[in-house]
Formats: sequence, structure tokens, C-alpha cells
Amino acid sequence: MSAIVGVGAYAPRFRISAEAFEEAWGRFDAAGVNGKAVPAADEDPLTMGYEAATRALEAAGVEGVDWLAFASTTPPMAEEDLTARLGAMLDLPEDVGRHVLTGSTRAGTRGIVAAADALAGGASRALVVVADAPRGEPDGEIDHAAGAGAAAFVLEADGPARIVDVAEHASPYPGSRFRGTGESTTDGLGVTRYDRRAFRETVGAAVDGLSVDPDAVAIQAPNGKLPYRAAGDLGVDAETIASVATVHELGDLGAASVPVTLARALADGHGSILAVAYGSGAGADALVVEADGPVSTALALDGDDPLGYAEYLRQRGVVTAGPPSGGGAYVSVPTWQRSIPQRYRLEAGRCPDCGALAFPPEGACPACGSREPFGAATLTGEGTIEAVTTISQGGAPPEFADLQSRAGDYAAAIVSLEGEDGGAVSAPAMGTDAEADAFAVGDRVEATIRRIYTQEGVTRYGFKIRPAE
Amino acid sequence: MRDAYLIGAGQSDYGAFPAESYRSLFSTAFDAAVGSVPKGLEPGAIDEAFVGTLGVGGRQLGLPGPAVTEHVGLDGVPCTRVENACAASGYAVRQAVAAVRSGMADVVLAGGFEVMSDTSSDATKYWLGVSGETEWERLSGTTFSGVYAQMASAHMDRYGTTREQLSHVAVKNHANGAKNPHAQLGFECSLEDAMAAPVVADPLNLYHCCPTSDGAACTIVASEDVVDAYTDEPIRIAGVGAGSDRVGLFQREEYTTVPASERAGESAYEEAGVGPDGLDFAEVHDCFAIAELLAYEDLGFCDRGEAGEFVASGATRPDGQLPVNTSGGLKSKGHPIGATGAGQIVEAYKQLTGDAGERQLSDPRRGLTHNVGGSGGAAVVHVFERQPIEEVAR
Repeated sequence: MSAIVGVGAYAPRFRISAEAFEEAWGRFDAAGVNGKAVPAADEDPLTMGYEAATRALEAAGVEGVDWLAFASTTPPMAEEDLTARLGAMLDLPEDVGRHVLTGSTRAGTRGIVAAADALAGGASRALVVVADAPRGEPDGEIDHAAGAGAAAFVLEADGPARIVDVAEHASPYPGSRFRGTGESTTDGLGVTRYDRRAFRETVGAAVDGLSVDPDAVAIQAPNGKLPYRAAGDLGVDAETIASVATVHELGDLGAASVPVTLARALADGHGSILAVAYGSGAGADALVVEADGPVSTALALDGDDPLGYAEYLRQRGVVTAGPPSGGGAYVSVPTWQRSIPQRYRLEAGRCPDCGALAFPPEGACPACGSREPFGAATLTGEGTIEAVTTISQGGAPPEFADLQSRAGDYAAAIVSLEGEDGGAVSAPAMGTDAEADAFAVGDRVEATIRRIYTQEGVTRYGFKIRPAE
Repeated sequence: MRDAYLIGAGQSDYGAFPAESYRSLFSTAFDAAVGSVPKGLEPGAIDEAFVGTLGVGGRQLGLPGPAVTEHVGLDGVPCTRVENACAASGYAVRQAVAAVRSGMADVVLAGGFEVMSDTSSDATKYWLGVSGETEWERLSGTTFSGVYAQMASAHMDRYGTTREQLSHVAVKNHANGAKNPHAQLGFECSLEDAMAAPVVADPLNLYHCCPTSDGAACTIVASEDVVDAYTDEPIRIAGVGAGSDRVGLFQREEYTTVPASERAGESAYEEAGVGPDGLDFAEVHDCFAIAELLAYEDLGFCDRGEAGEFVASGATRPDGQLPVNTSGGLKSKGHPIGATGAGQIVEAYKQLTGDAGERQLSDPRRGLTHNVGGSGGAAVVHVFERQPIEEVAR
């Protein structure tokens, strides 16, 4: 037996409407999608997963877990264990069991099922992080529908929202949705009736053996219409699906489609939830979640920064050139790696002689010059802007040329960050999550983790600041 | 300790010169410096050399010093490359003074060069801001325009300094540079122009930022034992001061001063036995308009927080109480990084020898040069005095 004890969810702040696509293309191919979430240029499934995971851990009121899964059809690296970075961002112990699930839009529910199995096998607390940002060719239905979002679940053996039944089904339906090895966009043959049959048959068969009368259904939503075509196969009415659906405003969330919708259903207080994920190929997972009390949730799914279609293409990097070549200043990957405790977790130092904070904690004490080794000190992630500028076109170091061509002007600040045990220390930080002019001297800000830049194929992640909530 | 004297100084034009190499630019500056020595100088008399360059473009990162001194025929003369970012050749001159004072050398060449215009805009970007703190400051998305803009934001927040006051720096320095045949941007600009330019890093616009430049400058420093052989109106290097600081702005106590400049200024004043009141002119490091304002305060030209009003009042125009950057400064004359510090001393030499042409001040006796590396990780200040010095009533 296993249960969900904390839930987090996140969607980027940017939104694009169906109308913006219609203006650009003369049509919009994603049926039932009114608008969708768009990841900012410095976001990817790893950073979105971090956003959801910090919220889930905080909602659950826990810090550590002993089992971690990260699921996405669009992980920022096709090969590399991203749970190592994610675990470091979340300050999880280094001996946590780790799993990366990808290759199917049911990777998210696979993660939840795997967590349930792990708990049954002796794990004490699991964290499942699901984040996705599908991508298609610009003129096709998949890209028109493609949204972005993340959900994270903390699971324990028992809790308020128990996973009482699980089933799955698979049968071969090649060609309905696929992405070849090495390709960056997902495609489909577009054989409408074949695709629909694959979906309905697979999800219907997965649910077939379950005994459930759900008051909410979180079902895979590659667009805003297909879920309702399967309502009859699931034995539910359209309202049961519509009341918790996320596809209409967030778009196709890929592997996060069902997890984010499940998060919303739990946040809305539904007692009996059927979660049905579908992965082309085709296979389906069905989970029955019974909540006999409120589950602690922290959802950040609202967004109100509208994008035009050209801005959408820029933010997603479809029409930008990528980083320039050059030489000069250079921070090697090993150098960056040594600073990960600071980049991810703001680990500072405290001078044993004078008590001043130092960030990064190296070299002589900035206050008294002592060479004594610093004691450990953590920063809260909150602080105040001391100096700030807006970097306009041409003013960015080349490492940030791609970001700037995608996201435009950005704020670069020096921020006084507060220590957990008092004091403050200054650090330089880039602004995110708001327009550059939203940052002024004296403003309160908080830290989050975003993509900093990519060089030699390796993306550097680290903290940035955003206006305090 | 022997006194050191400035017996010659000269520079190439500053600008973008596709037909020139770093060696040919240095050669031009060297010849100009040698040619400026009042009683003449046989290059064979030079027994030591210091050359400042950052190395932008990577064309000669190792041994750039001998690469230029051998090129101008200083065969076998010991040459040391000095690197302190934009203060490289200011520090080269300081090394020359030390060599003379210590007795190691009698006639020392100190100069610098940089070529910044012959790389693609992408490659150039990789070299901008390389003297900022790399791991943290640069990777928060800043080059120097951003870091100085942060200083400006703090100064504006704390003292109410305005964009218009920043623009007055550009107007003044362009007016001066328009009279300097070596200047890269030798044209005048109006306050309206300087207010309306495109933003580079808010609050700094294009007119608040110096250009990138090619160029070279050389100075020649001689000991008191030999100075009479070269001039009858010696210019004594009366004070030298220098200071270092944390390379990253965020690592400093506050952002509205450049402590390295303060330290350098205090030491130079003390050694020269004068204060800012004893100066007839100054060349300060105005890589950005805010940098000139900070220099006014750090060097004691005005009180803390009052630099904006000070420049707007006209006090630092050629007809003001303390003319600053009669050469046009980095803003108008140009900023070939490794040449800049020596180039400032070229202007001091010209003013003190009456060779400043249209820019000539009326009989100046004492001038100061102020050269900063990065956002203040290094600074060096020199005070020069025409001999014999007589205090004139002010």
C-alpha cells in the first residue's frame, strides 16, 4: 500500500492563446486547447521539476526522501542521469535510490507506480518528479498543442490519499506519435481514426479490470478533445473529466499531463480519482486514488504573461541562432561543478573569528580577512536588491547571447542574501520570472534555480532571483 | 631614493585601424615618445622596459612585451609585461618609477598597447569583461557596462545622481576630445544627444560608455642622475600610489566608491605632499560616465555624493576650477585597454610641456593621472610636477 502525502505543481508564467496561433498560421490545429503554458528561455523540464518538487516537499512538510524518480519525454539531456543534479538541487542525500523514466507520455504514471512498488519493497519515502515540455514541427498539431508543466508527489506507505489499485495495458499501435532517436521534435502520421482507436482501446482496457466510481478523472490529454472521446470507454461522463482538466489552459503536458491533472484533482479535494495515462505505441496506466482527507498541496499553475507567436518562437529557441563561438573568459565544467553547493543550494560560510557570512565560502573572510576555514552557513534564498541594471542587446557576455536573443533584456543585480542564522552576504544574480524593469534597488527577491547557460553541450544550472512572492 | 622624471611621452592615434598591427601601433607611439624628449634621446640609452597589455584577441598572450620592444629595436633590453586589466600601463609606469628609484635603471620605457577591432563581434564579446570576476559576476550576466551600471544604480539610489549628470560627463569629454587629433571619437555631442542614446545597461546609455579601441602609448622615465641630459624643464613624478581590491563588485563593502582609487589617491597625494587643491588638471579613468563621477569623489575633487552636481556645474571643464580629461578621456579619445594608463600620462606630459595644442591649459604646473583596472580591482595614481614648482595663489 502507498499513499500521496504531499503534492506540488508548476507551470511557467508565459501563456499563448489559440488566437495567437490562428493569427500566425490562419488556423490552430490543437482541438479544445484555448491557450497553453510556454517555458521561458531559461526553463526546461529539470528546472520545472525543481519548482514542482520544492513545493511538494514543502507541502508534505518533509525534507529528505530515500527514493527519487524523474520522468519526462523531453529531458534536457538524452543521456545523463539528471536525478544527480535534481537531487543536488533539492539537497537530497547522495545515497537516494534514483530512476529516470522517459520515452513515453506515460513515464509520469510509471514513476508513481514504481514509487508504490518501492515503498512496498521497503523504501520509506519517495519523491516522484514529472515535468515535460513537448515540441513538434511548428506547423503541426503536436506543436500547436504542446504546453509545459510539472507535478511532484511525495509518497509514503500510508497517508491521506491512498493508491488503492493499479492496472496497465499495452498493445502494438506504431506510428500514432513518435520521435526518432536523436530528433528534437515529436511527430505523428496523423491517421485520425487509427490514433483514436489506439487511445480508446488502450485506456479502456487498462481501466477495464478496476472497480471504481470516480468523481474526477485525470486522463491523458494530447489535445482538448480526445479525453472526452474516451469517456464512454471509462464509464464516466464528460464533466468528471472537464472539472479537473488542465489541457484547455496549459496544453499538452506530455508525461506530466496526468500527474498535473491528478495534482489539481487532489488540490480540489476530490475523494475518488481515476488517473489514466496513455503512451503512444501504445500502452496505458490506470491508478485509483482514494482520498479520505485533505492532502497537502502547493500548486503554482497560474500564469498571466501573454506571448505573441513570434515571441513564442523566440522563447522556445526555434528562430534564434544559438551561442556564438569565441575564446576569452571561460569557466570549465569542473570549475562549475565545484561550485554546485553554492549554485544550487546557496551554501555560504561563516567566519569563525568575526561571524561574517561569506559567499562563495572561499578565500579570506570578506569582513576581517581571517584565513580560518569558514563554518557552514545556509542562506534563506530571500534578500534585497542592492544594485541592479538591465542588460540590453549587446551588453550580455557571449555565454548569454542565446538567452538574450530568446528572452530579451534581463536584469543583473547584486543582492544581499540573508543567512538562516542572521547576517547577510552579497551575491551577483540574474533576474528571472519577471520583466527586467521589475527589479529595483531595495526590492525584495527570492532565489530559484534556472538554466544559466550552455557551453560545450553542457548546461549550467544555478540560482537566479525573482520578485518575492 | 632617487627621484624619477617623465622625460617623454607619445601615442598613436586611437581608433580602428585595419592596416595596423599591434607592433606598428607600438612603433608609432614609441617614436612619438622618443621624439618628444626635449634634448633628444638615443633609444640605446633605454635600459629597462615595461609594457602593459591585457592581450585582447589572444594574438600574443605570452611575451607580448619583448614582441614589441624588440620590434622597435630595443635589442636585448629587459622587458616585463604588466597585466592589470585596464590599468596595465598605468602600472607599467609605476614599475618604471620603481626601477628608477631603486637604482636598477636610469632610462626606462613604460608603455602599452591593445588591438580590439580586428576580431569578429562574437569573438570580441568573449574578451569584454574578462577582467570582471569570472565565476560569479560574469556568470550573473554582466560585462563591465553591467557592473558599472550597477554602481550607477547604487549611486543614484543613495545620492540622487541623475542620468543628466552622467550625460554631462560625455558632453564635456567629447568637447575636449574634439580638439585632440589622436581621439577616436573626436566630435562634440550635445546634452540632448547624450541623453537620447540607446540604452546599453540601464541607467547607462551608449554615450555613457567608452568605445573599444586600437592604440598604443609610451612614456619614458629617467632618473635624477641623468635627467639633465634630456630636458631643461624636468617633470618630476612627485607621487605614485596604487591599490588593489576584490575583483568582483559584489565582494566589496559598498558600491558607491572605488576603494582602490581612494587608496591610490591618498598614497600619491601623501608622497607628492599635495592634495586635490594643489592640482591644475587631472586625467581620470572614465570608462563609463559613472566611473568619472566616482573618481571625483574617490580622489577628493568633491565631497561624497556630490560628483553629479560637480560635473554639471562645469567645475571640471577646461575653464573650470579643476579641468578633468582634457584629452577627451576614455570616452572620446578611446580606450585601447593596455595603452590607456600610459596614454593618460601622454596628455599630462603634453599639458605640462605646453604641447597640448588647442587643448592647452594656461600654464599648468601639476597634474594627476588615475587609471583603474576592471571595476576597481586595481588602481594607480600618479602626480606630475613641472620643475621648479611654485605654488600659485588660487
